[in-house]
Amino acid sequence: MISRRALGAAALLPVAARAQDARVVMGTWGGDYGEILRQGVDQAVATPRGLEVVQEIAPAPTRKTKLLAERQARRGSMDVVGLSDVDMYELAQLGLFEPVPEGAVPGLGRVIPSLKRAYAVPHIYSARVILYNPNLVPVPPRSYADLWDAKYRGKVGLSDLLYAQYVETAAIVGGGGPSNFEPAWQKLREWKALGARVYSSNEQLAAALKSEEVAVTVMWLARGFMWKQAGIPLEHVVPDEGATSITYEMAVPKNARNKEGGWRYVDAMLDVRGQAAFAARMGYVPTVTDAPLPAELARQISLTEAQQAKLRTPDYAYQASMAGRLLDFWNKEFKG
Amino acid sequence: MAALVLPAGLLVLLLLVAPMAMLFRISLNEYSPTQLMLEALQPGNYLRALADPYYQGVMGTTMTVALSCTAICLVIGFPAAWWLARMDSKQKSLAVILTVFPLLVGNVVRSAGWMALLGRDGAINAALRGLGIISEPLQLLYTQGAVIVGIVAVVAPYMILTLSAVIEGIPRNLEEAAANLGAGPLTAFRRVVLPLAVPGVVAGSVLVFILCMNAYATPVLLGGPQFKMMAPAVYDQFVRGTNWPFGAALAFLLLVVTLALTVLGSAVVGRKYRR
Repeated sequence: MISRRALGAAALLPVAARAQDARVVMGTWGGDYGEILRQGVDQAVATPRGLEVVQEIAPAPTRKTKLLAERQARRGSMDVVGLSDVDMYELAQLGLFEPVPEGAVPGLGRVIPSLKRAYAVPHIYSARVILYNPNLVPVPPRSYADLWDAKYRGKVGLSDLLYAQYVETAAIVGGGGPSNFEPAWQKLREWKALGARVYSSNEQLAAALKSEEVAVTVMWLARGFMWKQAGIPLEHVVPDEGATSITYEMAVPKNARNKEGGWRYVDAMLDVRGQAAFAARMGYVPTVTDAPLPAELARQISLTEAQQAKLRTPDYAYQASMAGRLLDFWNKEFKG
Repeated sequence: MAALVLPAGLLVLLLLVAPMAMLFRISLNEYSPTQLMLEALQPGNYLRALADPYYQGVMGTTMTVALSCTAICLVIGFPAAWWLARMDSKQKSLAVILTVFPLLVGNVVRSAGWMALLGRDGAINAALRGLGIISEPLQLLYTQGAVIVGIVAVVAPYMILTLSAVIEGIPRNLEEAAANLGAGPLTAFRRVVLPLAVPGVVAGSVLVFILCMNAYATPVLLGGPQFKMMAPAVYDQFVRGTNWPFGAALAFLLLVVTLALTVLGSAVVGRKYRR
């Protein structure tokens, strides 16, 4: 005979299952990114579509390590994860992500085709440029190579977090590029001899730019936009050698508890409202073609057609294969 | 009676020994940028860490900082602990609360305070410039000195409380007897209090030394990107380099060196004062 308690529990099951379907855990950065996500995507789009979003906030390296640590677990802790294109590729080659299923993300039809990947959906993007303080640098540099000029001795500041990007920058100056870092080592030794300073975080680099301890850096255009908004006197130059793109992408781990909800959330992140909010507040260019981008904002955060034509994309496979060597050189020789 | 330790023993086995065994197993694997790691049983990661002058330097810095902090804590902690131990019980509770008060603030927040104090535009440089003593700011932050000061501020309460507990157990009349027999305060301290306080000195030093060897947040925040101690180096390999086997090997080397120095130090100090 079925007891009343058992009946009650059985009646609750569909409710619990529905709650489980609606709940999506998004592994994300905190700060401005997390806040814009909350307002521009979660509240504006995802909640009305019936999703209950929980943010799991941690820096990208921590989330990467967590995904790796739980890769053999049947149920992972994140339903969607946001990472840079380089990090995403590194984990995708280890087989951590679901392939993007056909038709699960209707918004993909509006995404810039060159940014699409089999294992992830692009969220926002920017490019690596030169930022300089016009009060200290009256004649702006034109290329990455200019930053190796002795007149910038002790005036170039770098962020410890972007070491792989600086290796690529040095490789480009030395005649290599995204697929050949070998010329980078010598150019980095020269940069170090010219007194290039390393700061622990982007925030500390921003403070050094503000206090005029350094005058020039190589950084994401979007980050420069935010720093300008914060009152740091900065201008940007797209280097003659061509800027390199950075795309922040979203993926659903293979062991996500709510894959279907995960893809629905990914689609919500492509909604024009969130995309426009990321552009206006963080300076990242939308990855969808129909997001409104006012002309003045576009001038500040995007590249001209000529600059787009020279835009470089990282060689993900090469960079992943060099990951250990990059960190070793950076730690031992450049910072050591 | 042995059954009483069973629950605690099982918990330790589950939460400490098992993960460490896994970590040791990982340290014998081979790193692969495309597959994270390849199953292997080889000592290559240990040999590389031991042979590489960079990691020798990192270990050297870690030991220098840990030994310096332990010595400083001992020197500044002993008088404070003696004072605390000999205090009236009413005042003592307040003094103990004041001693542990710094531990209520997290390491990161505390380091942020030191950064505000020691930075180029920090309070110390501003004061020195305001007084006309310096014209250019001094490099106080991102130095080994800043790291030592920062770590001492974190670990000093552990030393003081450990020493104080042991000194409390030394009868006060032994000091009075020494004074009656003509010993000055320094002689009484050297010949009577210090030898009896050796267990506290050893316990406090071991505790502080282990904490210093494994310091992470303070070296990262106050040492800056160029300064490296072992715990941040382990983190770098796991999280930034995704080289788990090498990171695990570094973690085990840190464990072995810490253990060896702790055992050696305790044995030497214990033998010297047991005579």
